Order: sequence, then C-alpha cells, then structure tokens
Amino acid sequence: MKANIVIIGSGISGVSIAYNLAKKGVKDIVVVDKSYISSGSTGRCGAGVRQQWGTLMNCKLAKSSIDFFEKAQKILKYHRDIEFKQEGYLIVAEDDEEFNQFKKNVKLQNSVGIPSIQISKDEAKKIVPHLNLDVIHSATYCKTDGHLNPFLMTDAYYVAAKKLGVKFYFYEEVKEIIVSNKKIQKVITDKHEFYTHKVVNAAGGFAKEVGDLVGIDIPVYSENHEILVTEPIEKIQGPMVISFKKNIYCQQVPHGAFIMGRSDKSVEKNHDISSTWKFLDEMSKTAVELLPLIGELRVIRQWGGSYNVSPDRQPIISDTKELAGYYMAVGFSGHGFMFAPMTGLLLSEMILNEPTSIDITDLHIDRFESENKTNYEQSVV
Amino acid sequence: MRIKEHPILTFPEKKKIWFTFNGQKVFGFSGDTIAAALHALGVMTLSHSLEMKRPRGFYCAIGNCASCNMIVDGIPNVRTCVVSLKEGMVVKTQTNKGDLNDI
Repeated sequence: MKANIVIIGSGISGVSIAYNLAKKGVKDIVVVDKSYISSGSTGRCGAGVRQQWGTLMNCKLAKSSIDFFEKAQKILKYHRDIEFKQEGYLIVAEDDEEFNQFKKNVKLQNSVGIPSIQISKDEAKKIVPHLNLDVIHSATYCKTDGHLNPFLMTDAYYVAAKKLGVKFYFYEEVKEIIVSNKKIQKVITDKHEFYTHKVVNAAGGFAKEVGDLVGIDIPVYSENHEILVTEPIEKIQGPMVISFKKNIYCQQVPHGAFIMGRSDKSVEKNHDISSTWKFLDEMSKTAVELLPLIGELRVIRQWGGSYNVSPDRQPIISDTKELAGYYMAVGFSGHGFMFAPMTGLLLSEMILNEPTSIDITDLHIDRFESENKTNYEQSVV
Repeated sequence: MRIKEHPILTFPEKKKIWFTFNGQKVFGFSGDTIAAALHALGVMTLSHSLEMKRPRGFYCAIGNCASCNMIVDGIPNVRTCVVSLKEGMVVKTQTNKGDLNDI
C-alpha cells in the first residue's frame, strides 16, 4: 500500500496532525495505532487545559490551543458537545518563594495575551469557597483555562480527519521502518506494509521505541502518573485547583465527579501504568488538606497513564537532521492533550515546508545538544 | 412486608425505631438498615437515575451500586442499604447528585 505519510499513534497528537495535514490537502495519510483511539496517555489524562506556564514557548502553545478549543466544535463540525468548560485554573502558592516565581510567570503569561492574574488567598476563596486558607499563601488565576473531554476531543479530530480521507488502522503495531539511501522507504506493521517516505512519531508513551526503529535516540522516557475519580455530586468547584509544592491537581468535571492526580518522585522510568495503594493514600491526604470538603466523597476508580518526559519538560516538535522525512511530536511531559491543536498545526506546517505559525526552533530535538540552552519548565505536577 | 413465620427461624419481637421519611413519622425495627425498614414499609423508590430521573429501588443491598442513595440527617449520597436505622433519623429522597454545601 502506498501512503504519503504514516503517523504512528492515534492519541490526540496523532489525530490532530492527521487532521491538519488533510485539511491542507495532503492525500493518502495513514494513522497506525497498536491499540485503539485515545487508548494511551490521551484517554488517561486529567482533562485539564491551561495557559499558566513558566516558559514562553509553553505559554504560546497553550494560548493558541485554547483559542482553537473555543471554536473546535464548529471548526471540526462535530456532532457532539466536547465538554469544553472555561472556569479557570487556580494555582495556589504555598510560600513567598512560589509567590515570587508566580509573579514572574504571570508577567510572562500576560506578555503573550494570557489573562492570568495574581490574587490574595481571600480572593481565591471567593473563587473556590472550600479552599483551606491555612495551608496556602496566595494564588494565580486564569479564567480562560479549563476542562475539555479528552475522548470527545480526540473523536472530533478523528471524525473530521476521516471525512477528509485519512485512513486509520487500529490494533496494528509498527514493527519495522525500512530506511535505505538515508530515506524512509517502508513502514511494516504486523498486518500491512506501507510504502512511504514520511513518518511521524506521535507514539506518546512509546515515543522512544518508535525513535529506536530508525536509530534516532530521542531523549525521552515514560513514567507512570496516577489519577483517581470520585462519585459525582452537584457542582461546587468551578476551576481546576493546582499546587506544585503540595503536588496536586484537582478538578470537578461537568458530569460532577472530581478528578485528581499527583506525581510520585520515586516512580521508575518504564511503561508501568498500574494503580497503587500508595497513590490512593497520598492523594486523598493531599486533597483533604487543601480542599477539606471533598473528603466527604467516595473514590470510584483509579488508573495510571504514561507521562512521556523530555529533559526540559517541554515538547519536542521536530524533524531530524539524521533522517529526512522523520518527524516527531513527543515528550509532552504530561501536557500533550492541551497543546494538541498547535502540535497538529505546527507539525503539518513543518512537513509541508511552510513557515510555522510560531517560531519553534526551541522545540527542535537539537536543543538538547547544548546543555545550557534549555529553558526548564517548572510548572508541572 | 416482613417474614413472620419460618419452618426453622424464629423472629422474636424487636424494639420499634421511629424515624422520619420525607417528613412523615414512621417506624422500623431494631437491626434494620434504613433501606430494609423503608422496603418493609412499602417504599419501593429510593432514588432516581441522574440523567433520565427514572425511579431506582432496592438493588445490590451491599453498598456498591448507589441505587439506594438518600439524604440522611442532611448528608447526601448515604448508602441506606448498609446503614443501620437509628431513633430519630431524618431520611429524605434525594433528587440531585447530592450537594456537599448542605452538610
């Protein structure tokens, strides 16, 4: 079978890239996934979309992505509500150090048009009445951040891409990528052979392995991040509440359930996505300390998913100098879902040799060659 | 309805426990769960489905299914099938997902 381009991975990044390429008129686009649509990190994510970042690049990617989400349902002509709710992110500071860092962050965010503000803890309590003021110093708030349903958003891209002629192959694993004369010739899966000169690595948690298929060493690794969900109740919380120091993010989704997660510093670098008692124990203690009222709720379910982590916690949206025609959108470090509209747009521009909407030199894989050049993203749970 | 006669088991008379159900004063017996007492009183609708508001009754009876969630003494989403009846309890039918602000 011939293909203009083979995209590996049907998470949010893969479907967004496929859609954007198809919209620009590219024919014979193939998306291959070893499982089903949004079965990896996308379907396991915390469903939050935010713009309050600590690096300029992440701020720009997030702002433009939110602009897209606001119109996504219309643009993609999707038949369902994608459950986009803009009731903000409230990021709490625990001490003066965080307050000062957030002051810089807000200034940076405002410089690219993100309407975030720094507020006192009393103002924070007006936004989230059940916040425990004894354990926080102050907060920042951005009202246009919010929630988006990962399954519906991915499906919206998928349906739109299919209408434009993109072919999807599920439950099909890429086993080999044949390269000769420094050019990609063929992608071999366990079911098909696709003759192509272009491959996009959008494999999420398995990005490194898909790099290894062509001998490109991508400096990313995967680690398990766990989440839990509670029973639904009537709405009591508008924004997502985050604390980097306390290590928690927690939001009430439109259906009424609370979704919350935290990271585990001692987690190993591998593809494990199991659930642990340790997480349940630490998560509930952290949540009850910061938001005591939700201690009344029962936990319904917990699960894990892979963060694909890059050295500077910023994505790698890049081609490679070693192999023409090999592209990647990897290493999102837990935030691939919220950046997906820009991931798709930027990579499609790069593939078609168009000028990119944002200068993404700093997202190139080559940035890791010089140690000092990278700009580390601190605002990550 | 309660079983009164049984070939093997006996049912000695137990202490009456008075409580209110949606404002009405009613009673069950010592050892009943809230849901069991209501069932014996002929109350078949304990809650309603969240989307379609269809009636939901006594179902799993082991605290797993949420079909018997009610407001008990002001606390929403109480699994009444696994909570023992106590004198003076105020039991109400819940018509929403439960409001934590009411606690």
